[in-house]
Amino acid sequence: MIRIKARPASTVVELRERLQQAVELEFATLPPYLYALYSIPPGQNQAAVERIKDIVHEEMIHMCLACNMLNAIGGRPLIADQKSVPSYPGPLPYDIGSEDGKLFEVSMLPFSKAAMAQAMRIEEPEDPLVIKAKAAAAVVPEFQTIGEFYQAVDQGLSRLPKEAFSARPRNQLGDQAFFMGELFAVTCYEDAHRAITRIVSQGEGSSQSPVDFEGDLAHFYRFSEIERNQVLAKADNEQGYAWGEPLGVDWEAVFPAVADPASHEAALVNDAAAIQLQDDCDQAFTRMLVNLQRAIDGEPGRLGNSVRFMFELRMASIAAFSHPVEGLDKAVGPAFRFRSELA
Amino acid sequence: MTVLQVPRIYFRGKISWDPIVTNNLTQLYDLDTSRPNFAGRTVAQYREAARLAVDNGEGNWNPHGTHRSTFFETTVTGVDRGEGVSEADALVGQPVIQTGMLVDLNPLTAVTSQLFFDRLSLGIEGGSQILAPAGYRYTARNINFGRNTGYQVIAGVASVNWQTSFAKADLRLAARGSKIIEAFSKALQKDEVLGLTVRFNAYRTTYFDSPAATDARERTLADRIAAGGFHPNPARSLVVGVVGLWCEGEPAHVPGDRFLVGGDHPLVSSAYAAVDGDSLVLDLSNSISETGFDVEKADLGTLTVTARACPPVQLGSIRYEDYARAAYEKNSGLVCLPLDAAQKAAALSADLEVSAGGTPVLSERRFHACADTPNVYLEAGDLHSVALHVLDRGKPPAVPVKLTVAEVGGPALGPVVVSTDARGKASVELKGVQKGEWDQMLLPWQDDSPPEVPAQLDPTQSAYFSVRTMPTDDEVAKLPPTWENVFAQVLRNWNALAPCMDNWLRLNDRQQCEAYAPLLKRLTSRSEFERFRYMPVTRDLTTGERTLLHRWCDAVIAKQVKAKAEARAAAAPQPQADTQADTKVPSSRKKRRIREARPE
Repeated sequence: MIRIKARPASTVVELRERLQQAVELEFATLPPYLYALYSIPPGQNQAAVERIKDIVHEEMIHMCLACNMLNAIGGRPLIADQKSVPSYPGPLPYDIGSEDGKLFEVSMLPFSKAAMAQAMRIEEPEDPLVIKAKAAAAVVPEFQTIGEFYQAVDQGLSRLPKEAFSARPRNQLGDQAFFMGELFAVTCYEDAHRAITRIVSQGEGSSQSPVDFEGDLAHFYRFSEIERNQVLAKADNEQGYAWGEPLGVDWEAVFPAVADPASHEAALVNDAAAIQLQDDCDQAFTRMLVNLQRAIDGEPGRLGNSVRFMFELRMASIAAFSHPVEGLDKAVGPAFRFRSELA
Repeated sequence: MTVLQVPRIYFRGKISWDPIVTNNLTQLYDLDTSRPNFAGRTVAQYREAARLAVDNGEGNWNPHGTHRSTFFETTVTGVDRGEGVSEADALVGQPVIQTGMLVDLNPLTAVTSQLFFDRLSLGIEGGSQILAPAGYRYTARNINFGRNTGYQVIAGVASVNWQTSFAKADLRLAARGSKIIEAFSKALQKDEVLGLTVRFNAYRTTYFDSPAATDARERTLADRIAAGGFHPNPARSLVVGVVGLWCEGEPAHVPGDRFLVGGDHPLVSSAYAAVDGDSLVLDLSNSISETGFDVEKADLGTLTVTARACPPVQLGSIRYEDYARAAYEKNSGLVCLPLDAAQKAAALSADLEVSAGGTPVLSERRFHACADTPNVYLEAGDLHSVALHVLDRGKPPAVPVKLTVAEVGGPALGPVVVSTDARGKASVELKGVQKGEWDQMLLPWQDDSPPEVPAQLDPTQSAYFSVRTMPTDDEVAKLPPTWENVFAQVLRNWNALAPCMDNWLRLNDRQQCEAYAPLLKRLTSRSEFERFRYMPVTRDLTTGERTLLHRWCDAVIAKQVKAKAEARAAAAPQPQADTQADTKVPSSRKKRRIREARPE
């Protein structure tokens, strides 16, 4: 279980900080999940693809809901900025997930058991991983699970005066364009509470059951299905669930690709095509974030533009994954680098 | 058996409707050519005209639509295994998941709506689940423009029935503790059971995310579009629905139950009915009006149900609380009346009637007809045979019945009369004569008393099917397959009409279209027509346009293949005398191991 250092959050300023942290945390999971997803050749490993896609969509929704909450209390979510975009391999934002001084380093892994195991570790609802928060090594920290972190934010928001929320929707993303019924404006504490309940439930599920309130599996269990290559099915036993039929995962049906593409820059120097493909990926990723930033800054119509660049990122990624780099004999997939000069 | 007979699943929730409605306007869409009405405009000017039509009184409420239609906040609410509606089943509370594409055969009218989709799921994988891959598109019927007397924003006043069916060979049922799924699994083993039917009613449609669409909201939408970005404006309806068995002899797309039509009462519209065991089940899901946005039902007092035998036999009463909002939402509009033996005999042998305050408000039409293909796409000159069914109080008639097929305002010379066979089946041959769309009313009759053909189609009173004849455009097919021709004749149409495509594939971008030529070809192929992702979603691509587009795609793909082959040849290692090469796999061979991928 990922843990995050508990820090008080009772004032509006502190809650804005926590919500920016939430935005970055939700965002940080996306590149490693997308790297694994895009490394699967089109038309293959459909069961795994559907599961990862669903999780990615839910993480995007969580991030947008966190942005809505932050905007609702007068903050400004920061996404299209070097400070907000993690590097891989690297720790999660704010060293989340690190334990006993040892960083939890997240890598970009092509679709594999290892990639799914890493995702499970990120999403794990129990058996906590404990990490230290970065600027407070000397202090005896208190740690929270992601669920507890959101619960603390929820409590903090519940104590804010009603006027702290902009009753008139302020820079809110709705479900008109995407995520019908799942993305909604936050204009009061009740909306925020609903958003937090959704985020926690879909991400972690409950401790009693892998099935959350919507009747869907928490992310950890969906990744587990892929990693085990088995469907988790309801069963008439004490737990109520059992591992069932094979999921049909083909670990060979994946582009041969390196892990952590950003670490292989030197290997690309003699392959102009590979460099161009990396630029294409970086450009699409950067433009996606720039448009997303505009969307959460009050131009919700830019969400569509952001999705367009996400489509381009996928296509550029497929091209990159299809191109074995001379000397490496493997492809170098998208590095998910934010490069403002490409915006 | 039908959805009006047990076993049955009930669901309730919401559905979004996000069609582009620019093509609902004759000034912006030409049905005869199946193209946007450019009237000399460029794509940018056309888009601007579509935007201006948002708030200039022309009613274009969604120029940035995507056509997507998604169930949301929709769950299974109850089951009935023959013991009444119950919430005690593992499937209850599970989500109903489906995303389709809302497409009107004729975008200029309101009676030819269809939903193209890939699958429906009740429940989730690993849990109690019915997973149903699409077999037939959904068809809308009986649109009721008197449904909501107090909420009349755009089509918020209306409600409509939707239906489709799923062949049992395609279904995946996983009970996992659900008794209702076990009941369905058992029933599906019977030879006469073909699969499952889903019927739902959509009502109280909200536009502009507001109980009251206003000029200000229209202006805001137009202004936002002008400022750039993507601004779909989906409408949202409430939904109640049922899932039941689909059996031999029953139409897949439209209700084949006993058909009751409304009379003069403004608050009552058509209904369906069936005798199920010792009960009469009335489907009032589309029938009784609500009085406002809060969807409280109009109080018509106690309704009386009678079999019009000689003498009439009263079958039961329906109190207000049995059709009021709470009951409607719980039972998806179905009302069950227990019958004794005499009542059942009367109900089976005589026409049904529902009265309010002593006045009939619903009367059964003994014969009810339907077409196997409710929405037909033709090319001019095409011949097409449409299978028709006539049902006699919900069952095949005992003797042949005559059926008048009357085209509404179209080029046909006059009504055609056909006779059914002993099982109530007939067919009619269609020929695509003239470009455009016409509805064909189906009027069954007996006893040498042909019906009077109504001058206009009333979808609450008459069965019908619809035919759209696309233009023949051989001259387009024969054009040189250049980018200029493909854009001007094909891609420009969608580029103008569907700004939402900019989010995926910029249709005016030659380089991008060339990169995705394999995808373009696949998604525009006739074989994909029933699929969710078929392009263009509006399904108005003509054969000539498709031919030209595919010729261009083929040329681009051939060029890509050739370029790849040349690149491979250039990268291939030259024969070397060095024997060390034998110990290594040449990198070019390794490259080949990486599967070539084309975007999906």
